[in-house]
Amino acid sequence: MMERDDRFSKENLRRLVEGTLHWEEVKKAIRLSPKDNDRFWKYLEVLQEKVPWNDKILLRISDHLYIVAKEGGGRVTKCDCGHEFGDYRTNWKLGCQVYVRKTDEEIGEVITIPEARHNTDLVEMREFYCPGCYALLGVEVVPAGYPPMFEMLPDLDAFYREWLGQPLPDENPDWFQDKTIEKAAAWAKEG
Amino acid sequence: MGICYQGKTLDELVSERDQSFRETGHAYGLKELTLLDSDPAKFMRFQMRLVASCINARETAKLISANPMSIIQGELLFMLANAEGDVISTSYGLAGHIQCMPFIVKSLADLNFEEDPGINAGDIFSVNDPLYGPSHNADCYTFLPIYHENELVGWTVGLNHVVDVGGIQPGGLGSISTSVFTDGFTYPPTKTGHNFKQEKWWDLHWKRRTRTEMFNVLDDKMRAAGVVGLHDMIQEVIEEFGIDYYRQAMKEIIERERRLLINRVKTMAVPGLYNWLQFSSVNYKDTLGRLWPASNRNWILHKPAELHIRPDGTLFTDMEGLTSEGEFHVNAYPPAVRMLTSLGIWPMFAYTETLNTALQYMTDWNLPPGSMFNPQNPWAATTMGLGQVGGVIYQFNRNLSYAFFARGFLEETFPQDGAGSGYGVQGTLGDGFQWAGGDMALITCWGQGAKAFQDGFEAAWCGPNPEPDQGEVELSEFLQPTQLNIGRNLITDFCGHGKYRSGLEIGMMQMINQPGQALIIATYSGTTGMGGGALGMCGGYPRSNDVIIYAHDTNIREVVEHGGHYPRDFVEMTQMIDDGTLSVGSMELFNSPTPSIPCGDGDLFASTSGSMGGWGDALERKYDLVEEDVKYGWISPECAKTVYGVITDDNGKVNVEESDLLRKLLRNRRKERSVDAKEWWKLERQVVVDKKWHEDINNMFADSCKYDKFRNQFYGMWQLSEGYTLQEKVK
Repeated sequence: MMERDDRFSKENLRRLVEGTLHWEEVKKAIRLSPKDNDRFWKYLEVLQEKVPWNDKILLRISDHLYIVAKEGGGRVTKCDCGHEFGDYRTNWKLGCQVYVRKTDEEIGEVITIPEARHNTDLVEMREFYCPGCYALLGVEVVPAGYPPMFEMLPDLDAFYREWLGQPLPDENPDWFQDKTIEKAAAWAKEG
Repeated sequence: MGICYQGKTLDELVSERDQSFRETGHAYGLKELTLLDSDPAKFMRFQMRLVASCINARETAKLISANPMSIIQGELLFMLANAEGDVISTSYGLAGHIQCMPFIVKSLADLNFEEDPGINAGDIFSVNDPLYGPSHNADCYTFLPIYHENELVGWTVGLNHVVDVGGIQPGGLGSISTSVFTDGFTYPPTKTGHNFKQEKWWDLHWKRRTRTEMFNVLDDKMRAAGVVGLHDMIQEVIEEFGIDYYRQAMKEIIERERRLLINRVKTMAVPGLYNWLQFSSVNYKDTLGRLWPASNRNWILHKPAELHIRPDGTLFTDMEGLTSEGEFHVNAYPPAVRMLTSLGIWPMFAYTETLNTALQYMTDWNLPPGSMFNPQNPWAATTMGLGQVGGVIYQFNRNLSYAFFARGFLEETFPQDGAGSGYGVQGTLGDGFQWAGGDMALITCWGQGAKAFQDGFEAAWCGPNPEPDQGEVELSEFLQPTQLNIGRNLITDFCGHGKYRSGLEIGMMQMINQPGQALIIATYSGTTGMGGGALGMCGGYPRSNDVIIYAHDTNIREVVEHGGHYPRDFVEMTQMIDDGTLSVGSMELFNSPTPSIPCGDGDLFASTSGSMGGWGDALERKYDLVEEDVKYGWISPECAKTVYGVITDDNGKVNVEESDLLRKLLRNRRKERSVDAKEWWKLERQVVVDKKWHEDINNMFADSCKYDKFRNQFYGMWQLSEGYTLQEKVK
């Protein structure tokens, strides 16, 4: 582990994550040049201390979602509530509970200015919830039939080896592959 | 014998630059930065002299202009390029345009301007034709070669957005055009002056081919004066530092910046694939009739962008699946994409001592030939391609925000979106005087999108212009007396909701004042009824739509005479209509750019601009933030209840116990009315199999499936057989 760079402290990072860091301190962080070079490691510590489980966090990909290393092998997407979505290479949205707002009335629950609402002849509003805690994890406003978007597929091995200089023990070129369509194919097979 | 260094031709110089980068990976093949390393202070002094010269040129030259967009709204730029076309330093203003200059210089090389018409000291060149590097024809470039003895050593360049460019609609942000022939006054690279002075005939073109001769002739003089002034200042710099230093330092600035940008990406981001998506539309059906049969239809514009942050720190954006080019006004050539989207990169990581074209050495694009951002038709209409490219700016804001968030740099998250609303106006006053104008006031004051740690600020920024200013209403009204501003207001509840919300949308209300014989208004909007970016941030809601309303035959003059309240925005106008204090003969509502709408005295013109998306689950917003929102009127108690699950009393105080219970109920409602993803997939797949969608959506899917990448994604996700086909149907 590299030497601690306290120009931006772990405590301030924790506050930033929690949304309680004072704006003046945030501005100092924005102006910090170069940035504190151990930020990622401090971030992992802060996050690991917040979640109620022990799987090793490899990367945070959303407010609630993490890619974690499982003890028995494998890398999965996991909610901070503990729900697991399976292999991180498959779009986690295919592991969610889904609600689709199709009508003006349904969209009006979250866009309360009637004149500004979306044209429901053209698009629907999809909401993706965690099946464990029912946190709203993702929103898409797309035409019906549009494939769900895989918002982020990190190149974890390149990140850890080439940018952090600390390669992961289970490196494999297959880790940077989108496996989402395999899940759709499995569903089609199951019927 | 060429005009460049060591007798090379311009074409040879540009080719050498490209080849040395390809072969070495370094700009100009520079593995060492000898001038910078040997005397950094001198190097910085040199660079600051260049920047100061550009700013000096801008601040002096703009005093010649009468165009409010130049004088008070920051829609101009002065820059210095080296002989190859790389921009080394700029003033502040319409910063994205630096990206066009390498393409413009390459066009001059390709066209062999060196031979004919010749590139001589004192020659002034002009261009706004997007086929040759500019972005759209309302953005007009004037540039001048810098010579040292007999060697071309650079270019000084002036650029601004003109009030009207002579298209079929007034202004420079048209909503209809079918080809370059209806775009308006579009000129390829042209030698328009010599001996440091524009030719007289050039004024006549502005007078005869655009609606706003006074503004445009003065703008042209502003640009010409600026490039001549900048030219003289750069000559002084060359004299002080020596030509060898100048030539080498210009290249070292680009290579130093390239390295810096790569390093920033590697420091703050996470490599991988990130996706952004936006839908928009063009609605010409039943508008253009039999005059342009190929344009008498609607299009849904599909704009996917996959950003690959590569392990080497460079950025590659793949837009395969993008809507094909069409006979509509929103095509754009690749330089326009490079130009405008750079505005999404600078605030994210490319903020350095001076804006320059180093980005071109670390960003790549796949813009499929034949798509709307790489049209193969040399006569494609592009008058408002930037309106659609504008959306793509924010793929960088969004995708890089996720990358920085994942790395722990939450303070650098800045996910944003595009918004409107500017307008063009054209009229004939009572005495027969014909005039035209335009206003971009609401394009200068967007609310920010929510960030990973706090709400976005209100009326705080502008995507396409880092140096925006609403300007002074009095000056706008002096120049456009028909547009009487009676109100501006931040609109309650009009934001992207989330754990952190965006800044509120700002509304503007104008009363049409004595237009005389005729007046039309054509308004630009950043949305088309499908919002902005299609994806929320971490469960936040994406932005909704701009609102533009023309209310005709109102009794606002009576309201004014009786000392009544004026509506400050469309929401207040609607409330006044409902409570009977305002009467309206008819109303036209748009969430999209509007056609040219005739307006009469006492009509009301309401527009809005600027709310972005929220960040995170709205049910997780802290109670004290909601309480503050309600206290200041940013969020209504009703919205706090339905969207945020927060109950407040008459004094705006949060009832914690009741709110806790309500949030629990709302979470339970999510559980009750959602289905598991497999069930949803089956339902959605059936829609695809049965093609149960709007004709315009059908046509969009049919078009995008012509491209392998999207076709594989679409067919794969819904497990469609090869026998499944989609055909475009245009009635």
